[in-house]
Amino acid sequence: MTTINREVTPQDPQDLHNDLHEVWGNPRGLKALTIVNHTTLGLRFMVTGVAFFLVGGILAMLIRTQIATPDQNFMTPEIYSQVTTMHGTVMMFLFAIPILEGLAIYMIPKMIGARDLVCPRLTALGYWCYLFGGIILCFSMVLEMAPDSGWFMYTPLSSSEYSPGLGSDFWLLGITFVEISALSAGVELIVSILRTRTEGMALHKMPIFAWYILAMALMIVVGFPPLILGSILLELERAVGMPFFDVAGGGDPLLWQHLFWLFGHPEVYIIFLPAAGVVSTLIPVFAGRPLVGYGWVVFAVAVMGFISFGLWVHHMFTVGIPQLAQAFFSAASMLVAIPTAIQIFVWLATLWLGKPRFQLPMLWIVGFLVIFVCGGLTGVMLALVPFNWQVHDTHFVVAHMHYVLVGGMLFPLMAGIYYWLPLFSGRMPSETIGKWGFWLVFVGFNATFLIMHWTGLLGMPRRVYTYDTGFGWDIFNLLSSIGSFVMSAGFAMVIIDIALHFRYGKPAKHNPWKADTLEWANSMPPSAYNFVSLPAIETRHPLWDNPDLPRTMREGKHGLPTISNGRREMWGTDPLTGKLREIIHLPGNSWWPLFAALALAVVCISLLLRWYPVAGVGVVIAFGFILRWSWENGAHPAAAPDARVKAGDPPLHSRTMDGPGLWAMTTAMIANGSFFLSYLFGWFYLWTVSPEWRMPDESPLSLVGLCVAGVAAILGAGLLEKAIRGLREKNDKGLAANLYGAALLGAVQFGLVLWVLLNANLAVTQTTHDAVIMVGLAYALLHSGLGAVMALLQGMRVGYRFVGAHAPFEPLVVTYFWRYSVLVFWMLVGALAILPRVIGS
Amino acid sequence: MKAMTQRMTQRLHLTHPGHFVGGLILWSIWFVAAYGGLSVACAVVPPDAARGAFTPINASLLLMSLLTVVLIAALAWGCFREARLHRARRHFNAKLSAWLYLFSALAVVFVSTPMVGLPPCL
Repeated sequence: MTTINREVTPQDPQDLHNDLHEVWGNPRGLKALTIVNHTTLGLRFMVTGVAFFLVGGILAMLIRTQIATPDQNFMTPEIYSQVTTMHGTVMMFLFAIPILEGLAIYMIPKMIGARDLVCPRLTALGYWCYLFGGIILCFSMVLEMAPDSGWFMYTPLSSSEYSPGLGSDFWLLGITFVEISALSAGVELIVSILRTRTEGMALHKMPIFAWYILAMALMIVVGFPPLILGSILLELERAVGMPFFDVAGGGDPLLWQHLFWLFGHPEVYIIFLPAAGVVSTLIPVFAGRPLVGYGWVVFAVAVMGFISFGLWVHHMFTVGIPQLAQAFFSAASMLVAIPTAIQIFVWLATLWLGKPRFQLPMLWIVGFLVIFVCGGLTGVMLALVPFNWQVHDTHFVVAHMHYVLVGGMLFPLMAGIYYWLPLFSGRMPSETIGKWGFWLVFVGFNATFLIMHWTGLLGMPRRVYTYDTGFGWDIFNLLSSIGSFVMSAGFAMVIIDIALHFRYGKPAKHNPWKADTLEWANSMPPSAYNFVSLPAIETRHPLWDNPDLPRTMREGKHGLPTISNGRREMWGTDPLTGKLREIIHLPGNSWWPLFAALALAVVCISLLLRWYPVAGVGVVIAFGFILRWSWENGAHPAAAPDARVKAGDPPLHSRTMDGPGLWAMTTAMIANGSFFLSYLFGWFYLWTVSPEWRMPDESPLSLVGLCVAGVAAILGAGLLEKAIRGLREKNDKGLAANLYGAALLGAVQFGLVLWVLLNANLAVTQTTHDAVIMVGLAYALLHSGLGAVMALLQGMRVGYRFVGAHAPFEPLVVTYFWRYSVLVFWMLVGALAILPRVIGS
Repeated sequence: MKAMTQRMTQRLHLTHPGHFVGGLILWSIWFVAAYGGLSVACAVVPPDAARGAFTPINASLLLMSLLTVVLIAALAWGCFREARLHRARRHFNAKLSAWLYLFSALAVVFVSTPMVGLPPCL
């Protein structure tokens, strides 16, 4: 017995569908832009990702054409630099991460038995930011102004002195815009996995794919902020002249490398983990048995998630770091082979003990195993410092990277797309065309990149637009170029196969691969609400243990089968045990995410064109849209004004003190904390290492002013805590006064920090010291201002009766933000104003 | 002693999944402290290169590593012990945490091995 029937009365599935569709259904025409549903947005992410993949692929073919033979002048050096930079940038930032996010956004709710992700409007905002950011970035190519400093934008090459055009600005602003999307997806995937699994799905019963996505999302939340900080600093240097990376002013170009690779190395695993999750999902299905060593895979995922953050310096072995420090990173780099090997042995053991069926998705899995193991072995070679020095900046590194990324991400992704294709469309792909596509890609890939290892070992450096004949590179480059065109032909076949299958593919049987996970309990293609009723789960393999489950779910025999009060509802469960805790009500379709993203796009373009007043107006408008969006929550008429639920069902989340918004705020603050710690790292790094760093004899910051501001923040947080204590006791007396009081104290803090800043007379374009302080105080201003506005809005909501003892949830979310703000403010005071006074210059 | 150990393990809630990341967080803190401490020490008080690995910096780093290993290994032992007392979800959580603690302890040992033989600031 794997399910518990909550509602035993069979109901007409068509009636149930009609009711649910009325609330969850997607609008058509222009209003389709308001859709927030995860199925639609997941598909949009993936389709957009494929479009950018085609752009990146064409750029790759241009590169291979240019270096196919020596002394080519098919492209000028300037254009070649732009093409290589954009190839890497598009593939990493606009294809690999977003398409995997799209897959996760599409699959996770279906796999964990939910009806949507927990923050649907955030999904929509993320998509629009991704689309607009990607278009802005790619438009630079049309203008022949594309970035040309390499996809990692090393300073000083990317600084205004050596890259005076707009290319670097396109990269910095466009990528930061796209990263809003990644962070949005990270936050909501974490909260959705932890808080919206169906009843009974305890942590140890989660589908293995959800573990991988949980790790990936946590890594995004921690890993992306260092790059966002680095991008902001470099853009400030380029636009305003703040010398963060300029040695003469007291900066250090190596700070960029640290910040970039603090993001960049984990990013490899951010890309690999979901792809490995696909492998761990598919192999048991095609082997016809459970995954051998589920616990070991979770172990490996956790280890990878952490260890991958300890490897960043292995990209910097040649910059002059002490041998002992290099040895730390070399050893850590070798350690990561252990979790990788565990997974590979788990996959092999599952195949060994099962009865594998080599259908189309499995071809791509086998291709993955072969290529990824080779890429992993060259990775261990590169972890060895002396070898790394020898092949640094050669085609060997390029070949290794492609073996890891294409083998480790693209092959499993293709396996996953073929596997879930019947779910997307209700039709099966063509095995014949699909196999042709696979073999062309497999042969073409190895012809390109296996041979590229040899070109690299013969000393060919990366990013040179041409080479003389006679180095022994000619034949290998020609073979690599031929291989790349064969690979492109393979991808063309795959795309044709997928495009044709929507019309000519055989209709798929239900659960065509005989899978075990809940997504196959959906209709094919899925409805907007996923499941008519939400089952209680007792095992990791619900469809194997109860093949009848999809039918009973369709007949509404499980939880939440009917619509009450026109709300979009699903279960909120305990993150550990999967016990029911509340009914989560989700917002419906909305224009606000699109409008907010459009306003942010205006900000991005204005910053590019140095139209700062327009950018300022854009920020205010975007902020206004987001505040309006936040207004339509909780007990607002557009959300859940009526809190009644059916007898026996848990309460609505907005009527409790522990809804998913708290988890989303906590997760967002983890990302914020990562940004802040990266900033502190930069401050202490420059203070310690930068050769021309100038610490003034006397701190320019008023310690008294900052301390009074800090006390105001503590008092404001105290008022909020008092309000929360009252709400926990169902008492909202004085709630509005406490919230308005906190808002006032937040405003006092803001005013005092501004006063300290204005009186510090910082020479932000002269010394890095002052520039770093400026950024720190701006961060404090942002948080104090935001805290004040959030408390003020809550006070107003009390007046409208959207918040109170009957709906106590939102002030607690704001309190979490204040707790964080107070903590980081005092850390900032300690680092910027107290420590320099204690230690001196 | 036994009673104290029991009280400690109860307070630590070793079957909570928070321990999945406990060992790896301790490893990360140790790693940052070791790398950051080495960088600061080399910038502020670089030792004479002729002393090789026999420097106060290496000794301090090794001592810190040893303490970290002892702490993480003790947590691993506690989790293994706790795993034997439970079934299903709690057993899964404690056992997984135990292996993750053990890995973290071994990772500290492995990464700190070069401290024995390499001069710190060359």
